[in-house]
Amino acid sequence: MEKLKKKIGSFSFWNWVIASIIFRLILIYFPKNLNLSSRPEVSTPLTSFRRLAEGYWLKQSSMSSYAGSMYHGSPLLLSLLGPLTVKRIEGQPNHLLYSLVSVIADVVSAMLIRATGQNLRLAYLRSLESLDLVKQIDVSEFLFSGDIAALIYLCNPFTIVACVGLSTSPIENMAVILCLYGACSRLIPLAAFGWVIATHLSLYPAILIIPVIFLLGCGPDSPPRKLFLQRHQQKEVLNQLKLPPGFSWGPIIHFAFWAFLWSVYVLVLCGISLKQFGGLWEMFKSTYGFILTVEDLSPNIGVLWYFFAEVFEFFRNFFLIVFHVNILFMILPLSIRLRHRPCYLAFVYVAICSMLKSYPSVGDSALYLGLLGWFVNELADMQFSLFLFCGYVGVSLLSPVMHNLWIWRGTGNANFYFTTAMVYACLQIVLVVEGVSAVLNHDRKLRILITGKP
Amino acid sequence: MAETKEKSLSDEKPKPRVRPIVRLGIFLISHSFHVSVVCCTAGVLALFLLPVLAKNTYISENALMPGSASPMLSNQHVSDGNRLVKDLTNPNSKSSETGIESHKIIAQYMLDLGAEVSFHKFHPQMNQFHPLHFFSSPDSGKIQENYSCSSYGINTVGIIRAPHGDGKEAIVLVTPYNALKSGFGEALSLGIAYSVFSLLTQVTWLAKDIIWLVADSQYGEYAAVAAWLREYQTPKFSSLSTPNAEMCPDVNNLFELKGHSISGSKFSNSFRRAGTMASALVLKVRDQNEQFEDTISIYAEASNGQMPNLDLINVVNYLAVHRQGLRVNVEKLWSLLNSSWLKSLGEIFESLAKVAKSLYPKWKFGIPATEYVEGTATLASSLYYQALGVPTGPHGAFRDYQVDAITLEISPKFSLDKVWRNDILLRGGRLIEGVIRSVNNLLEKFHQSFFLYLLTSPSKFVSVGVYMIAFALLIAPLPMVAASLYVDANSSSNCSKGDSSTPSAITDTDEHSIAIRSWRWLNSAKLVFIVHLWGAIVSLLPYFISQIPDCSPTTSFMIWVLLSILSLLTLNSVLASPLACAKATQEKEWALVKSVTISSVFIGLGLMSVINFATAEIGALLMVPMCLLAQPLKLDVRAGTLRSFCRMICNLVLGHIAFPPAAFFLLKGMLDGFGNANVGDFWMWVESLWAWNSATYLFIVEVTYIFSHG
Repeated sequence: MEKLKKKIGSFSFWNWVIASIIFRLILIYFPKNLNLSSRPEVSTPLTSFRRLAEGYWLKQSSMSSYAGSMYHGSPLLLSLLGPLTVKRIEGQPNHLLYSLVSVIADVVSAMLIRATGQNLRLAYLRSLESLDLVKQIDVSEFLFSGDIAALIYLCNPFTIVACVGLSTSPIENMAVILCLYGACSRLIPLAAFGWVIATHLSLYPAILIIPVIFLLGCGPDSPPRKLFLQRHQQKEVLNQLKLPPGFSWGPIIHFAFWAFLWSVYVLVLCGISLKQFGGLWEMFKSTYGFILTVEDLSPNIGVLWYFFAEVFEFFRNFFLIVFHVNILFMILPLSIRLRHRPCYLAFVYVAICSMLKSYPSVGDSALYLGLLGWFVNELADMQFSLFLFCGYVGVSLLSPVMHNLWIWRGTGNANFYFTTAMVYACLQIVLVVEGVSAVLNHDRKLRILITGKP
Repeated sequence: MAETKEKSLSDEKPKPRVRPIVRLGIFLISHSFHVSVVCCTAGVLALFLLPVLAKNTYISENALMPGSASPMLSNQHVSDGNRLVKDLTNPNSKSSETGIESHKIIAQYMLDLGAEVSFHKFHPQMNQFHPLHFFSSPDSGKIQENYSCSSYGINTVGIIRAPHGDGKEAIVLVTPYNALKSGFGEALSLGIAYSVFSLLTQVTWLAKDIIWLVADSQYGEYAAVAAWLREYQTPKFSSLSTPNAEMCPDVNNLFELKGHSISGSKFSNSFRRAGTMASALVLKVRDQNEQFEDTISIYAEASNGQMPNLDLINVVNYLAVHRQGLRVNVEKLWSLLNSSWLKSLGEIFESLAKVAKSLYPKWKFGIPATEYVEGTATLASSLYYQALGVPTGPHGAFRDYQVDAITLEISPKFSLDKVWRNDILLRGGRLIEGVIRSVNNLLEKFHQSFFLYLLTSPSKFVSVGVYMIAFALLIAPLPMVAASLYVDANSSSNCSKGDSSTPSAITDTDEHSIAIRSWRWLNSAKLVFIVHLWGAIVSLLPYFISQIPDCSPTTSFMIWVLLSILSLLTLNSVLASPLACAKATQEKEWALVKSVTISSVFIGLGLMSVINFATAEIGALLMVPMCLLAQPLKLDVRAGTLRSFCRMICNLVLGHIAFPPAAFFLLKGMLDGFGNANVGDFWMWVESLWAWNSATYLFIVEVTYIFSHG
């Protein structure tokens, strides 16, 4: 559906939004036939709807919702969404209310993406203006990246599948986007809230604190600061007004305060709801512990399940550390190289997480593909775009086929399915590498425009 | 001069050194035409080489141990079987209208052996195509129908519990039987099954339960077996089921009679189950036969080209040939057997092999020409039935539940004397006994041998690793041509802009195309997507048309055509007239469209090769040349050279041949003469395909959409 990004200006944005909502609603009326909520690509142990319902049932029968290693999400989610899993309306599909919540979450995310994209575009134009590049780059050709990103997010089949498949990832994605939106529009309490909730729900967004700090400290994406200095050296008039502001610690302390406040609030709420059942420690053990120790080895589109099903028990801890440190290793170099583009940094982090996390689903891919839309102007010269597109289409079709061959027909085996998981991981790597190099090339091009020499 | 040289050198220097693999890729892309011609020819050639490359089958599961024990089936059991045959062919038993009497006889015989017996009543379920069933698991979305008491079938099921088993596993023996108009062959197959059954009640080595299913084949063999399997695999827990067969007075009557005569025995009203099925054998005896010796035909193809584990076929083949002296036969395309070109091809291969052997004695890959022709005929039929996706017998129902099953059809040398009949009963019974004993030895499911294979004779097969090479060669040109077209289109647009690398240069492309250079393919992707969408709509239309009552095939076909055109027009107008847009664009835009199309075909064929290899192979044979040759007609007309004219003719012919109705008519015309070809036939054919949820059906749509591009 990425092709929709063409000529958005002439197309009506709202038409597409309404069309995508209607499409979701139509699909919601075929839950039995589509059977999406039991697909391994859509529902992982963390996001599965059935596990949520099971957790709610355990809670209703006054047991710990974490009993029996069924539910591994947040207790807050259970209190908010749990009642919707059992509520039925006569003559309507079973989980209509819950699906409607997912649809609303998707639409809200798309609107937030749109607002953030407009913010980013304005900031970009402003920085071009201050670099005096407006004449050289035709600004009218600039795409409305916010609209495009929102439409990519809404019309992406991955998002639709995650939404109709009743997984909780639309909610998790919304928290992440809320965090980025708050940081971009300098609503510090909102950013802190989004960050705390996103971390609470799925742990991995915790590393988004780095882009958020950059966003709050130096403002949204812009060409490297060096370029501004060079430009003004050329002109030999150092206009302080036109320079981007330097790093300021005020908002960050503000953010830390709010983050602390929100996390205390969330923990207190969790503590209250889990008072009889082992308290917070139980929650940490069966949510974060479950994520970090990769206990559930049921197949998904990631690569960890296969590896930990094969690895010797003796080495298990070692490889757990290796795999998780992998993410941490990439944080520092990327944050140094892309510090002038915090939103892009956030996109790269989200993509890397969704590649290396222990229970990935298509909902995670939906998030980073949506965020990719913010940077259409920067990524105009990205290589291998057709190859990546075909790869994504191919893998998303091949994965159910391989699963069917393995589970239903019995003619294939786990290796078949794992192959598609590996291809998928490779595609994501290519996407991240090509994306980062395209953005760096874009910066280089700006530098050439300014200095006039390669 | 020297300065300029130095300058050019320094210009070259910063050029990054290209890695060998990238250089290889660039080489392949730049010579894509030659490479694709070579690859396609090699692919077709490799397909014809497959019978030569076939390997001998071998039994890879050690636990099977076929034929290691001497058969225990004695003349006593044979005479038991004979008794049943006599009773069934007795005219008295056929007096009843519903054929209940003969089922009662069978049940009585089973009970006498001490087996557990139950009747299973079912309503024949029409195979309905449901468009969304592709996504769901086999059990979900079952449609409840209104049952009527007028039509139902009765399966008689006998179960022997294994003395040493734990009741967790079972072996199924199926004999289709039509009580209303049973031939002598069906009675004989029951006789064979009964003699084996009577032996198995006495043996001590049995570790798996034996289920003997006498499937009522008055509504088709497949329907009866499928209904029983559905009941077996998906137990119903709700008591509030829809009115089903038990409500009908007639059937209840049957039960009462039964209960009356033999109270307190092992007869039960409820559905009886044994453990999970290890494998299933469907046994048939053909009625008339004109061959010279007793042969046994093996049918293995299940729905969508799935095959049972090769070990099962191996066991049957080994026991039939080496123990019982039966000739084993696999389905062949008989028309190919007499074709002279195949014979000459086989002779060429034979002589080549001779030359190779004279060069180096260890190269022994040649096979005699006659064997080659036979192998090709078998391979062709194997490919055909797998590609069609329609099971060749009741065994197809088992494969849907991951149970390996084959149909054995014994065609005896026909004569009516009693000695002959006893002989057939003895040999057939011993074969079945041997197979059951082998399967009984299994400790795990069949998993050692191949699931993905093509047979070239009962004892020779081509495994997945070999036949995939032919396919891979065939479709290898697709990504290469797509890449070269894409690169060409991109570089030509770059050249037109001059060499200035400023972003402002991007803007001077076509007025409505977007500045994003590397994303220009999105437009063509949109076009391809819309055509695919149209294809999907067209493929879903028959489902809705079939809901219209009282439609002859011809009228429904007409409705289909009309609605398809209508939907194309609607899509065209709603989604910003994609086709008109394509017309307006230039050559390089067209190249992009072709590139995207080819890559989508590549993805589709790759997927299909995983789902159903045979379909993908046949499809690739049709579509690859079409994709590679496709060119806009207008350009060809404008160019006006001889070469482009040839290409245009090729395109038109290929496009028409590959369009499914046209292809169907051609085939039908060749087979029956053009006189009786009718559009309605096409409709019926398509209907029969979608009834099996066939992957072929999806595939046809793919072809359709390509055509619309041409």
